[in-house]
Amino acid sequence: MPGLDRLRIVGGAVHDPANGVDGEARDVCIEDGRIVASLPPGAPAVDARGMVVMPGGVDIHAHFASSSCNHARRLLPEEHGADPARAPALLEGEGPARSGTGGTVPTTFTTGYRYAGLGYTTAFDAAVAPLTARHTHAELDDTPLVDAGCFVLVGNDEYLHRQIAAGEQERARHYVAWLLGATGAYAVKIVNPGGIEAWKAGQRNLTDIDQALSGTTVTPRAILETLTNAANDLKLPHPVHIHGNNLGQAGNSTTTLATMQALAGRRAHFTHLQFHCYGGEAGKGWASAAAKVMEYVNAHPEHSVDVGQVMFGPATTLTADGPVEYLLYATSGRKWVNIDIELETGCGIVPYTYKEKAAVATLQWAVGLELFLLANDPWRVVLSTDHPNGGSFLSYPALIRLLMDRSARDEQLKRANPKLLAGSALADGLAREYSLNEIAIVTRAGPARLLGLAHKGHLGVGADADVTVYARDPDIARMFATPRYVVKGGQLVVQEGQLRRAPPGRRLHVRPEFDQRVLKDVRRHFDAYATVAFDNYAVRNVPGEPVAIGP
Amino acid sequence: MTIATIEHAVCLGCGCACDDIIVAVSDGRIASARNACPVGLAWYGDGTTPSRVIVRGAAASTETAVREVAALLAAGPAMVYLAPEVTTEAQRVAIGLADRAGARLDSVSSDTAAAGLLAGQRRGRATATLGEIRNRSDFLVFWAVDPDLRYPRYLSRYALDPAGTQVPKGAAGRTVASVDVGAARGPARAATRVSLAPAEEAAALGVMRATVLGRTLAGLSPALEAAAELARQMTRARYVALVHDAEPTAEPADSQRADGLVGLAQALNGPTRCALSSLRAGGNRSGADAAVTWQTGFPFAVDFSSGAPRYRPEEPASTAVPRMATVLVVGAAHGIPGEVSRGLPGRRVAVIGPRASEAPFPAEVAIDTGVAGIHEAGIAYRMDDVPLPAAQVVSGPAATLAVLRAVTEAMMAGGGA
Repeated sequence: MPGLDRLRIVGGAVHDPANGVDGEARDVCIEDGRIVASLPPGAPAVDARGMVVMPGGVDIHAHFASSSCNHARRLLPEEHGADPARAPALLEGEGPARSGTGGTVPTTFTTGYRYAGLGYTTAFDAAVAPLTARHTHAELDDTPLVDAGCFVLVGNDEYLHRQIAAGEQERARHYVAWLLGATGAYAVKIVNPGGIEAWKAGQRNLTDIDQALSGTTVTPRAILETLTNAANDLKLPHPVHIHGNNLGQAGNSTTTLATMQALAGRRAHFTHLQFHCYGGEAGKGWASAAAKVMEYVNAHPEHSVDVGQVMFGPATTLTADGPVEYLLYATSGRKWVNIDIELETGCGIVPYTYKEKAAVATLQWAVGLELFLLANDPWRVVLSTDHPNGGSFLSYPALIRLLMDRSARDEQLKRANPKLLAGSALADGLAREYSLNEIAIVTRAGPARLLGLAHKGHLGVGADADVTVYARDPDIARMFATPRYVVKGGQLVVQEGQLRRAPPGRRLHVRPEFDQRVLKDVRRHFDAYATVAFDNYAVRNVPGEPVAIGP
Repeated sequence: MTIATIEHAVCLGCGCACDDIIVAVSDGRIASARNACPVGLAWYGDGTTPSRVIVRGAAASTETAVREVAALLAAGPAMVYLAPEVTTEAQRVAIGLADRAGARLDSVSSDTAAAGLLAGQRRGRATATLGEIRNRSDFLVFWAVDPDLRYPRYLSRYALDPAGTQVPKGAAGRTVASVDVGAARGPARAATRVSLAPAEEAAALGVMRATVLGRTLAGLSPALEAAAELARQMTRARYVALVHDAEPTAEPADSQRADGLVGLAQALNGPTRCALSSLRAGGNRSGADAAVTWQTGFPFAVDFSSGAPRYRPEEPASTAVPRMATVLVVGAAHGIPGEVSRGLPGRRVAVIGPRASEAPFPAEVAIDTGVAGIHEAGIAYRMDDVPLPAAQVVSGPAATLAVLRAVTEAMMAGGGA
């Protein structure tokens, strides 16, 4: 029976856009965890005739395994109490499954089970403080079923700022390379460049990419350029992953476009773009600027984005962007966590609910959809909710319905508060409906390509055998919420809609080469200012071999 | 004589988790622990620890004892209790045992540090890792605590003496204030002191928060006026560190202290910046909070009997233990709070941990294991939730992690003696 080394998925409508396959009925053959061209007759099979077959989903940006996530979990006992998650009934011999709790920030085992239950088999935690990377790897050890990695937070670190101020671009690059390896990370994440340091230093924030940190010449522009160049020069599989300045502020599209223009011609990924596409002016009103920003993105093939869609309902805002969370706390009155993390970054958490009767929440919802619907090239626009910031990853199926079904959008729009939607392309009517192939691009093929994961996001020979099979259903959200079969690394983990196996995932990380001489200087910095010994800083024994770097 | 030196060892004698300890080992014993404070030196000792396995008073094999533990857990209602001195790797496996057994799961936190954790769940918190305090804090307020007594290197490593990026002159660049509550006094080095009677404490915290929020209160008593003046000084600082002891103290703390401190620290982030620093004891307690949270969604007091985690903070281990039939203690039996260990007689108890065979309560099964950071390597968390790699410095008895994994296997095999 399935679960052996071989498996044939028979006769499904295959959506494999990376290989130019758009809904053709064919078999997908699996052997030893990889896609193969064919299998001998009699190989174990599942019948997927009449169903939809796609590669396993790839989440390019979520927050599910970090010290910050764990602080959020600790903050939310009421959510966890309301969503107890019993251990799934795995097949005999598959080892005991674990119980947990859900809510917007589920526990680790439950996170793995729920990702696989959605047909997602690869995921990246998008914001890990280097100092707590050890914690992330421990959480990932307890997150089964997804091949996973993390992006390490750089850009508000004291050492980097010193290098920028001194014009030491080369040393900055070696430092970044060392840091990636030392933390077992996959990519460089920039959050509010310079702004978190400003928050910690009493300057509160930086609101313009040319505003310098007090007493220095270091600007967001310099940070962005330094790190973008470093990542590209190092030939990292994924470029810098940027959460820009002024997240969530009215009028922030000016900053967003300035940031993109500063990096024009250089490969860069702009994350949860929805939160950075507002027109209007601080204190004077809000509007959508999605069309303007997406026009720029459409014209710049070197740039990619994920959307960070807001979904109506509960969320937990959770970010290294401490000053943003302070503002949200001050305006919402909800409970609030702030953690300043020495020499590196910060953390802020505020639980939040996006209400359809709230004008700003409706605007955010509309801006996200506009970005999707105005994008010319789905390969550079990834589906995300910035889980759990815009909503849980469990809301992806509902989001897919909004993309594929205009009537669902219109129905939702009728229930929402239209006060700030004047000039919104969505309110004016966007007829586009995503096809299944486009959904396959924005949820797996595109993100895999942008992440440089050559074996993910497609079903060509040699690819990782991560496959999701959906039974067709007129209710699109239900179809994507309950795959009939999921294969992870060649193992049939979801059968007839039930999770039956929970193997551990692989760790995805890089270890770029660098000039070891930089360590002498980094060590001197540690000795002067850190409270953790340099020799105790690096994460040891990150499982698995690093992903290859370079062309 | 063979001497080995281990540098950058992590001392878990208290929650400071100093990682600059240089341990010299001679003939299998710890000869010295350079840089360690008196608490650390006592914690290291000479590294010797018993290595016995006992079942119902008689020596037994580890395999037999492991089967007994599996059977004991199966004969619940059971509790798995996380005591100090084990790695987070071991804590994670122990949580899994509780899950599989449908047991209660708790740690020392429920009877020691729960007030602060619960206040944090109600309100959140504004805090920082210790290095931020070192590098930025120009105004330190010690709330009814002198760290020198139980956290001897807190001032010299983190809060007061060292130079920081924003405080290049170290102690000379920082103002130290103490709020003394009853007999609980802050450091002698404080330049400013506010003395409160215990009955005034909650009111003082309210007055200080109101002052920070810009309200002027009239008719205050001299003590409360002094507190208000301190709050005004704090708003003029660049980065305030508000330090308190999250562990039980000789004098019981006001039940509203934790909420009041959280609220004050949060409010200070309007006019300036502030971090609340909560002092925690040693043995990787913060690690237990972290691992229990990521696996269950709650930091302590978890009930798996319904098949999924339920939170029972109103029923800490001291209250729950007497209702249990069996209890598995994972960690150092001597580190269990008295109010918990007093409930253990009458239960069927197994202990897997350092000096289990010398537990100060009757145990049906005792498996001696090593101390995390002395005999067993693994992750241990500092009081500020920073995870550190605690090294092994001398060899010892079986590793807690290995024994717990064996218990897991015995349970999966349907295990019982």
